Amino acid sequence: MRSLEDAIADLTLGPLLDADDKLAVDTWLSRHGVEKHDAEQLRNGGLKRLMVYRRLVRANLRSAVQVAIPRVVARMGALFDEYFDRFLAERGPRTHYLRDVTTEFLDFCTGHWETDPRVPAYMMSLARHESVVIELNAMPVRSTEFVTPELTLDNPVRFIEATRLMKHDFAVHELSESDSDRTAPAERPVALFGYRSPEHTTRFLELTPMAAELLRRLLAGSPLGNALNDAAKALDIPLTQPVIDGSARVLADLAERGALLGTELRTEQGTTNAAR
Amino acid sequence: MLVDAVAEQNQLAGVGLGLRWEFLDDVLDRDQPIDVAFFEVSPENYMRRGGYYPEALERLGESYRFVTHGLTLSLGAVDPPAADYLDELQREVRRLNSPWHSDHLCLSTAGSLVLHELLPLKLCEATAQRCADRLRAIQDRLGVPMAFENISWYAHPGAQELSEADFISLVLERSGCGLLLDVNNVYVNSLNHGFDAAHFIAQLPLDRVMQLHIAGHFTRDDGLVIDTHGARVIDPVLKLLTSTVESTGPVPVLLERDNNIPPLPDLLAELNVVRRAYDAGLAASRGRP
Repeated sequence: MRSLEDAIADLTLGPLLDADDKLAVDTWLSRHGVEKHDAEQLRNGGLKRLMVYRRLVRANLRSAVQVAIPRVVARMGALFDEYFDRFLAERGPRTHYLRDVTTEFLDFCTGHWETDPRVPAYMMSLARHESVVIELNAMPVRSTEFVTPELTLDNPVRFIEATRLMKHDFAVHELSESDSDRTAPAERPVALFGYRSPEHTTRFLELTPMAAELLRRLLAGSPLGNALNDAAKALDIPLTQPVIDGSARVLADLAERGALLGTELRTEQGTTNAAR
Repeated sequence: MLVDAVAEQNQLAGVGLGLRWEFLDDVLDRDQPIDVAFFEVSPENYMRRGGYYPEALERLGESYRFVTHGLTLSLGAVDPPAADYLDELQREVRRLNSPWHSDHLCLSTAGSLVLHELLPLKLCEATAQRCADRLRAIQDRLGVPMAFENISWYAHPGAQELSEADFISLVLERSGCGLLLDVNNVYVNSLNHGFDAAHFIAQLPLDRVMQLHIAGHFTRDDGLVIDTHGARVIDPVLKLLTSTVESTGPVPVLLERDNNIPPLPDLLAELNVVRRAYDAGLAASRGRP
């Protein structure tokens, strides 16, 4: 029974099988070890009808990706379909959630696109920038238990769950939302903080290098004081009062936007200093 | 467990609507609740996620009852669904207070691949047994009665050993679960495979029907009829609903519309058409000996 299941998966996701090519059909049947009486039915016309599922499966999956990264699909044209076909054939969707198929597709393409001269260098950045909107929209809500609004240097900071810090080599966030625009983004390093607002809208903030280094550490769970020191060290800048004030403004802004909840009162190891 | 389901089934008897994001806001914005017996929800669209839609669903839950109907349990697959997926599903079914859960009698996974489509099963005793075992195991895991839906299918994979009606009856017999009878799927299959839809339904143990589905479909240029849920329900399908309800008596009936979704007022008008067909079936049912 597994042989039939594998054969159907291959028929829908794998390379196109010519149902009129007897040798190709025999090879396909034998590769999957399909039992004799099932193979007979498939040879005698069953396979051609079964091919309708190839179109249904692929159209459904493709439309889910199209919704998530419309500008990438439009800009890549036939090249997108080439990679989508490869994704289906070589890896295939593993998630029960249609909304996550795009992430699986992009994870598959990472590494391939970078070495393919036909794919513009900015395309993966644009794809990640587009797909993160659906990801942020769907991220679970984090409990506000064990959080106090005041920030203290000795403790980690709690953000809402729906945040994402992204670094790109291209300013893809400045591109037009139009699917027909083919302008290439400016090549410059950008750090973006994406979050889901209390009104359920995905928003992006472009960060300074200091803000990006600070948020990266805070999102990883560093106490605020350590994060500030380490961020300044990483950028080789002194932690002066203006730098501290600037960082405080960034955090206050994020709190006002509903992205930062406050000080974490509990860690995996137990309560933090602020909770004692 | 089925005893509880019968009580819930009586409460929800009437015509419900498949909840879709396209008209979610319109339903929420109305001053008065719309006249639906229940909303059917696809839990995969709300599981393991936060944001607008789960919150909107919670608000809807203050005025409406939900019944969950899943898409990816893949009841006929060789491998069982992943444990973490079932955990999430259980949480969602409980959160929505669904009196039962249903999914399709089909293949939608193959090993670790998830195909996101309802593919046909090989109709034989071994598959029926596997589906029955799977249904009982999932029912135990979810803690609510399970029902399965007959699908539209366009080709049979391999040598067919049982008729579809016999296959469905066997799964019902061996699983003890309920049947979600999709009247439109029977009609579509009757056109594609050349049988009499009413006769097919008459062969099924209709006392096991937990819920009915009704929808529209599309005929391709080559004559193949595809179950798109993208058009109005046509008269022959409404008549089939009436004759089915004449046999089942009061049951929850669901209007499905997944594509080309019209404005909510048009959808509610269609709901009234379905309700008239359902009421006609009920009236005839009461007149039966």
